[in-house]
Amino acid sequence: MKGDIKTKLSFLIMGIGQIMRGQIVKGLAFLISEIFFILYMVKFGASYLSKLPTLGTVETVKQGRKTVYGDNSFLILLFGILTIIVILVFIFLWYLNIKDNLHDEELLKKGKELPSNKKVLYSLLDENFDKTLLAAPVTGIFVFTVLPIIFMICVAFTNYDKNHQSPTNLFTWVGLKNFKELFSFGSHGMGSTFFQVLLWTLVWAFFATFIDYFLGLGVAMLINKNGLRFKKLWRTILVMTIAVPQFVSLLYIMKLFANDGLLNGYLIKWGLIDSPIQFWVDPMLARVTILVVNIWIGIPYMMLIATGILMNIPEDLYESARVDGATGWQMFKNITLPYMLFVTGPFLLTQFIGNLNNFNVIYLLTQGKPQSMKLANNAGSTDLLVTWLYKMTVNDTNYKMAAVLGIMVFVVTAVIMLVVYNRLPSVKDEEGFQ
Amino acid sequence: MSKGNSNAGMRKNKKTDLTISYIALVVISIIWLFPFVGLLLQSFRSYDPKVEYGGMVDYLIPKTFSLDNYRFLFSGETNFLKWYGNTMIIAFFVALFQTVVILCVAYTLSRMRFKGRTFLMRFWLVLGMFPGFLTMICLYFLLKQLGLTQEGAIPGLILVGVASSGMLYYVSKGYFDTIPRALDEAAMIDGASRARIFFTMTLPMSKPIIIYTALVAFMGPWCDYIFASYIAFGHDESYNVAVAMTRWVWTNDYQGYFTRFCAGGIMIAVPVTILFMLLQNYYVEGVTGGSVKG
Amino acid sequence: MKKKALSLLLAMTMVGTLMTGCGGATKSDESTEAKTEAAEDKDTEAAEDKDAEATDESEEATPSTTVGDGSEGEIKVWVADAVVDFTAKEAEQFLNDNPDYAGYKVTVEAVGEGDVAGNMITDVESGADIYVFAQDQISRLVSAGALETVNPDVIDDVKSANDEGSVKAATVGGEMYAYPLTSDNGYFLYYDKSVVKDPSTLEGIVADCEAAGKNFYMEINNGWYQTAFFFGTGCELTYDTDDSGNFTKANVTYASDEGVAALKAMIALSESKAFQNGSAMGEATNVGAIIDGTWDSSTAQDVFGDNFACAKLPTFKDANGTEYQMSGFGGFKLLGVKPQTDDNKLAACDALANFLASEQVQLDRYTEVGWGPSNLNAQASDAVKSDVALSALAEQLKYTIPQGQYPGDYWTLATSLGDSVRNGDITSSSTDEELMETLKQFQETCESYAN
Repeated sequence: MKGDIKTKLSFLIMGIGQIMRGQIVKGLAFLISEIFFILYMVKFGASYLSKLPTLGTVETVKQGRKTVYGDNSFLILLFGILTIIVILVFIFLWYLNIKDNLHDEELLKKGKELPSNKKVLYSLLDENFDKTLLAAPVTGIFVFTVLPIIFMICVAFTNYDKNHQSPTNLFTWVGLKNFKELFSFGSHGMGSTFFQVLLWTLVWAFFATFIDYFLGLGVAMLINKNGLRFKKLWRTILVMTIAVPQFVSLLYIMKLFANDGLLNGYLIKWGLIDSPIQFWVDPMLARVTILVVNIWIGIPYMMLIATGILMNIPEDLYESARVDGATGWQMFKNITLPYMLFVTGPFLLTQFIGNLNNFNVIYLLTQGKPQSMKLANNAGSTDLLVTWLYKMTVNDTNYKMAAVLGIMVFVVTAVIMLVVYNRLPSVKDEEGFQ
Repeated sequence: MSKGNSNAGMRKNKKTDLTISYIALVVISIIWLFPFVGLLLQSFRSYDPKVEYGGMVDYLIPKTFSLDNYRFLFSGETNFLKWYGNTMIIAFFVALFQTVVILCVAYTLSRMRFKGRTFLMRFWLVLGMFPGFLTMICLYFLLKQLGLTQEGAIPGLILVGVASSGMLYYVSKGYFDTIPRALDEAAMIDGASRARIFFTMTLPMSKPIIIYTALVAFMGPWCDYIFASYIAFGHDESYNVAVAMTRWVWTNDYQGYFTRFCAGGIMIAVPVTILFMLLQNYYVEGVTGGSVKG
Repeated sequence: MKKKALSLLLAMTMVGTLMTGCGGATKSDESTEAKTEAAEDKDTEAAEDKDAEATDESEEATPSTTVGDGSEGEIKVWVADAVVDFTAKEAEQFLNDNPDYAGYKVTVEAVGEGDVAGNMITDVESGADIYVFAQDQISRLVSAGALETVNPDVIDDVKSANDEGSVKAATVGGEMYAYPLTSDNGYFLYYDKSVVKDPSTLEGIVADCEAAGKNFYMEINNGWYQTAFFFGTGCELTYDTDDSGNFTKANVTYASDEGVAALKAMIALSESKAFQNGSAMGEATNVGAIIDGTWDSSTAQDVFGDNFACAKLPTFKDANGTEYQMSGFGGFKLLGVKPQTDDNKLAACDALANFLASEQVQLDRYTEVGWGPSNLNAQASDAVKSDVALSALAEQLKYTIPQGQYPGDYWTLATSLGDSVRNGDITSSSTDEELMETLKQFQETCESYAN
């Protein structure tokens, strides 16, 4: 044990050392956080933490006709995790407290002065400005993103589903059972369905990304053409699809393509077809239709980006190519495309990841339908992993499997990120193109 | 072949080329505008059975032009105005706070070097790979503990919309990266604190990205029909327009509401679109400037 | 470096605010804890704290005898949008008639029968105290603990006042969990007189629609409508449940010759160019005929105008020429009360629910929005008897089976079966073996839901 009495006191009462040395602000901050921690643990945290291993044992009972609820496994899990996080944060604070004490002691021993309270506060606007700016956002992310994600990961290892619904019923830990279920290939197993949905998710993301990319690039080049007029008008028309909320436009389009919708209605009326085209019913056609509608959504966005980049391509590159007698296609292939691909590499990757999780387009258009006897657990032919996951959560309240699926989505995304990201030319070689 | 001839040929080529481009663009424009025109036309079809019919029909142009659907929306028969107001409030405050949060985070990550910076960025990247729906039920119960569901759904939605927005720093950071650091250093030599530099130098130079961030944040809540319906949990007055109106299409309780849905859609689309058009240039700048840098 | 503590501190205080928010709730729990032996740690939301306090007051008195007097609180009712105003009006009436419960405030909110079960199961504590649901959800609601049993004081009256099928529908295992509200959740045929000449055979209807270029709607990818074919040929599909809503046994005979015949009829229908999948009049276009329920009666009259007509479901023929009458489910809407932590509130909810499901209110509801009553006396009234749609339904109900309890998974499975027909997984060129294979898989999956 190092340190003088002031430091040693701080082992028990955080911040006391700093206060005794005159650093009131810092000391009080440590002290208050310790008080908060103790209050939290006594009033709230400890009881949840103690129940975490079982997720509750007290059953709901009836007294006469009145219901008396027992343990709420959901809240035990949620606040149990919160308590663990709080404890970890506290331990870290405690460590900082000790370290700060030792540091101050050192300074005083060397005969140097400690920074004044005012200076400590002022540093929050200057060299520690980052802490001031990040404190709230980081806390927000911790409580509203990190905590829920840890919670859902934990749910994947429980039997939390419609038969184990809080507060009436308890749920508990089941280990890897749910993962085994996802990868079971029996007649009722989810394994084959999972891989079919995964396959379509990847296929969809690939086509949705690249079709939109090249068509958007094409449209941008079309509008950028020298001598073409009303450039702004064309762009504005296209950009409408970004401005109008998707639930309005896509729900309308969904009705438009329905078997008894406007499009089929007119085609039949004009005698072009005899029976309605099954846009949303035939699995293959539904997939194609979704991709087509997605072009409608995706092109304007890509067009905007491409327009900006195309203007940045040095004109003399084209000039010299023209002197060498290159055709338009050759110029596109050798100048425009490599430049675009280089600059937009990371963008393409984020688009791809975004499309893997493109909930809106799929859900508003088909809700994952059509379903099939060949697919288990309510999955449909156009379901992405995320829409399937969503349906499991909301329609079936099958949280355990949804959580497992969520982890799978994470794994797929992470793998693609890792594999692709480091191979991107613009990441490998930032200065390469200059 | 003389030089003049080839020039004339090229000019002619150019002309046909342009004509083809115009035709292509007109076709594209028709396709792109068709759903909106359809939406608009259908919104003028009366739902009153004495006049016409509010459900699905197989023709585009209403037989009689009527404003019944709009009258319905404003009549107070439903809470449409309330929903609209809710969405406006949510969108406004989310835009306000989210912009503040994003700018803070982006500036810090762009300008300051501190221990854990790269860890933080990597960590957030990893977090982003988890599908958001996964956490919905958990967020619902968190908000419920704070009393921010059902009657309190609107502040609840604002809170959730803002709380995790720090992770969306990417585009703004890209923008800040383009502002030369030499400016900061010069000011620092003059004794300005970092906070002062941020507020008096960097922010005034960042108008495009501020507008871009706010615009994107403002448009988000108009399309939130999933999480918002979870949080409102059946409490009609806490719905936003998206939650309320998707019911008109998806639920059998609301038959013959299709034209009213179209009218509501127009009511939403018009202001958002106008706002977007006005600020389009900033949007383009944000999208192209921020999202393509590595 | 050392000053990083400060930032973390800021973070800590924010977490602190969250804790205090939760802390408040736990505190009030502790007070209830002392009185209720079983609940060691009960987490209630702020609104429910009120209930908890009310419990404390009445705890010493014997429960269920002291009813009402002076208790306060809010009773939340969830019904479909169409009957929100009606229900609010009737609830008002109830409070006026029963000054004992005048301390309660009744709020009626629009949550349709499609969403209600999902919401109730997700968070029963925030859900409605009284809600209307379609009977197919009942076992799911019971096993999630979202339904209280019917008040034993009135249960015999409720049982005798309503038709047998509706009472059966409200019963899970041996317990009755809900008040029957309507017995009009069945389907029959609406058609356009000028298009369909003879509504007695499916083939005839389809041919007429094809000839006129009109659509024939039937939602064959819905487990509810689908049974019209399967039960018509004589297949069976029922489940046995225990008292807590768990499925103990499945009785399925889909994988049989009858099943194949039914499936073939479905395929034949789906391959007609007049066929459209759907059962919502308001969503349908260019309709010649539609299989739909009484709730769409007024929409159907709007659409068909003078040519409006309705009839029982048609018959259909198999390949050998055997004729079957289309069957299906006769279903019911039920009114449920959520389990309560407070005896007084439970009494109030029981009384209100019983009132909302009473003969007079059922009759009023019929007059107001056209929902067909389950109450026997109300059914016998002249107004109900002369209703064309309800008469067609009554005619059809002779051929249907009262809908019992089905696991939620059945409905999605049935959608898969229907979609398989529609999307061409199985077609008229499929062999009997292939069809049998599909049905076998269907049957096995159905059986796997019971254990």
